[in-house]
Amino acid sequence: MNHIDKKKEQTIKWNNRSDQTVLYLLGILLVSVIIMSILDEYFLSVRNLFNILNQQSTLGIATLGVVMVMIAGCMDLTIGNVLASTGAVAAILLNAGVDEIWVILATCAVGFIAGTINGVIVVKTRIDSFIATLGLSTVYQGVALIIPGGQNIYLQGKFGDFGTFRVGGIVPLPVIYFFVLATIVYLVMRFTKFGRKLYTIGGNPEAAYLAGINLDLNRIMAYAISGLLAGFTSLIVISRIGQSQPAMGVSYPLEAIAATVIGGVSLSGGKGTIPGMVLGVILFGLIRNSLNMLRVPSFYQYVTLGAVIIIAVALSKIGSNKKQ
Amino acid sequence: MTKQQLLEIKGCSKWFPGVKALNSIDFDLLEGEIHCIIGENGAGKSTLIKILSGALKPDEGIICIGDKKFSSLTPSLAQEMGIRTIYQEISLAPDLTVAENIFMGQEPVNRFGFVDYFKLKKESKKILETLKIDLDVNALVRKLGVPQKQSVQIAKAMAEEAKIFILDEPTASYSSSEISNLLMLVDQVAQNGVGVIYISHHLEEIFDIYSRITVLRDGVKVASHEKGDLSEEKIINEMIGRDVNKFYSREMVDIDYSNAIELKNFSNGSTVNNISFNIHKGEIVGLAGMVGSGRTELVRLIFGADNKTDGTITLEGKETSIKNPKQAIRAGFSLLTEDRKKTGLILDHSVLWNISIVHLCNTKGQIIDEVKERKAAQGCVSTFNIKTPSIKQLARNLSGGNQQKLVLAKWLYADTKMIIFDEPTRGIDIGAKEEIYKSMIQLAKQGKYILIISSDMPELIAMCDRVIVMRQGRLVCEIDRENLNEENILSYSIGGTI
Repeated sequence: MNHIDKKKEQTIKWNNRSDQTVLYLLGILLVSVIIMSILDEYFLSVRNLFNILNQQSTLGIATLGVVMVMIAGCMDLTIGNVLASTGAVAAILLNAGVDEIWVILATCAVGFIAGTINGVIVVKTRIDSFIATLGLSTVYQGVALIIPGGQNIYLQGKFGDFGTFRVGGIVPLPVIYFFVLATIVYLVMRFTKFGRKLYTIGGNPEAAYLAGINLDLNRIMAYAISGLLAGFTSLIVISRIGQSQPAMGVSYPLEAIAATVIGGVSLSGGKGTIPGMVLGVILFGLIRNSLNMLRVPSFYQYVTLGAVIIIAVALSKIGSNKKQ
Repeated sequence: MTKQQLLEIKGCSKWFPGVKALNSIDFDLLEGEIHCIIGENGAGKSTLIKILSGALKPDEGIICIGDKKFSSLTPSLAQEMGIRTIYQEISLAPDLTVAENIFMGQEPVNRFGFVDYFKLKKESKKILETLKIDLDVNALVRKLGVPQKQSVQIAKAMAEEAKIFILDEPTASYSSSEISNLLMLVDQVAQNGVGVIYISHHLEEIFDIYSRITVLRDGVKVASHEKGDLSEEKIINEMIGRDVNKFYSREMVDIDYSNAIELKNFSNGSTVNNISFNIHKGEIVGLAGMVGSGRTELVRLIFGADNKTDGTITLEGKETSIKNPKQAIRAGFSLLTEDRKKTGLILDHSVLWNISIVHLCNTKGQIIDEVKERKAAQGCVSTFNIKTPSIKQLARNLSGGNQQKLVLAKWLYADTKMIIFDEPTRGIDIGAKEEIYKSMIQLAKQGKYILIISSDMPELIAMCDRVIVMRQGRLVCEIDRENLNEENILSYSIGGTI
């Protein structure tokens, strides 16, 4: 018995893993920033740093939804194609002359509905959520082509400010959206019962069920929020590029998973924090920006980013195996 | 003609943290013999089987198989030495035929190296005929019932010319005709020279087929009997017989007989049949029975965790409808499940989160007051004496006894009227046990309704005002405190007649 107790003592140091992840991410961020600023004097300029944040804000907002789903022990691979579909809806509405505010609300609502459908299908069919949302993602890929008839839709009116305006000429609006939404999701996950239920469901679904938590309802809600945030993201994307493209969300699901895993969110659910995920998203952008600045050819960038994703997942697996 | 010895175990011991599961056991098996092992839950039967199948390493002792000696086995070594453990369902390929399963891994091949299906079927038929199993060799295993699958496994083991068969509770959830078919098959197998180790909680079965009975108690071999003049009573007496002084002595609490929870006709169509009983306010009722008798299934039905076909609950005169755990908790029920790691705790969450979750999820409001939550958890940690460096510690890092106290804290913090304990003290140390017993008495004093499932008979005898006994999904009897003794509980649990 004695040596078992001692072993327990040793593991105590590890007890606040999520807090540690945040510190450790901040450390890596800092080191990369220092190295990059030595290699390239332009890197540390306010403009470049905001560019990185601006570039990552869309991925970041969409990932906020995915992270809720992942904490509840599920996966959402639909965000990219949901985003393409809602973007098409938004572009059509805008070109039809609907008021911007109504377009924004309608687009978010369409995303919310798509997310709810995803949630209901995952929960009720009990198919592994990875496979179910992979299939659903293909469905939305079709929807994103059907709605605009396979064409890009160019925005005729002025919706440009929504995604490109810089407050005081410096801070891009999407960066502000990202931090405001991240704060809201952080508060929800930390201080509401809904958030706590998601953690519990992801941590141990059977124990959560026996503790009186409605697994299906809460999971559906997480998916619905994920869809809503994908809808919101599509508005920024179309505003930025001035058009809606059927394939504009293709890289989102994988990048979202990569960023969350880098940020310390468990692939099996129940663990992970919003600050960790936000840092993961930023670190991911920093790597991409650094590769650009170091003039790594884009083909090699894919190889590097893919390797980063695999290394991050492998490290998180090693971390969780060690505990058992 | 003397029978050849297939297997011999000498001086075999196995320790688990805090308990000696097997204490210097000697055991042997002859060819053509059916050697039955009987004992209470936790007597060491499963440990012995696991050692023989290579799943566990003994700490002491020698295992002799034929003329080879081993200090421990691995699963593949046990296979190689001709030991086969027969399970009810697993280890068959569902989408292959009966014949293909029987010869899986040793299919006869023709001269081109392809499987010789003609021979495969012919040989399979031959084996099934020798064992008098009535099965079509072309049937898909997926389409067979559990008893047929089990006979296919036995046929497969015969085809592999294994010499030692282990059957651990092979008749669980079988109907009486299925049981007698299996017993005939086992007898047939033994007549073909195989040695069978047969474990069961059911005395009739054992008395039907045994050539030898070995009785285990608390990890010790109590006695071994050859076939002959043997009474059920003798066996039961050997299974029990503990020192009464070791029992915990509880404080008695006045029971309020005017208030009760009435449970009526609980059934799930298979493992639980038409069970009714009631619990009075302040009363501690025990639920006894062997593993597999339907105890856990029953309390899961009561708690709404599984679907029931029938069953009503009347709580203090009001009929209460419970369809899921959420409704159960809101109606005033708690269920402390038997497996704290799998169903009780969220191991990767903190002590704090584990304590507050039930209370939090079943009270009004959406916002968590972290200050209040922390205070309450801190209070629970000191009330239940949970040893943890801080409430931020992960539940995974606590010892078994402290994990169990954590489960207790989480449910008692939710403050429900009825508390169901499923094996509340399994695998925890004496100190933690006593603290849990004290909490139970406290609850009884507060006028709660308490139901305890336990395989630990001294625990039931010490703690309960009344014990109900289940056997094969049915309620066999109620025993009140005056008549509560191990002999009574055990004989009703295993169906002996005294």
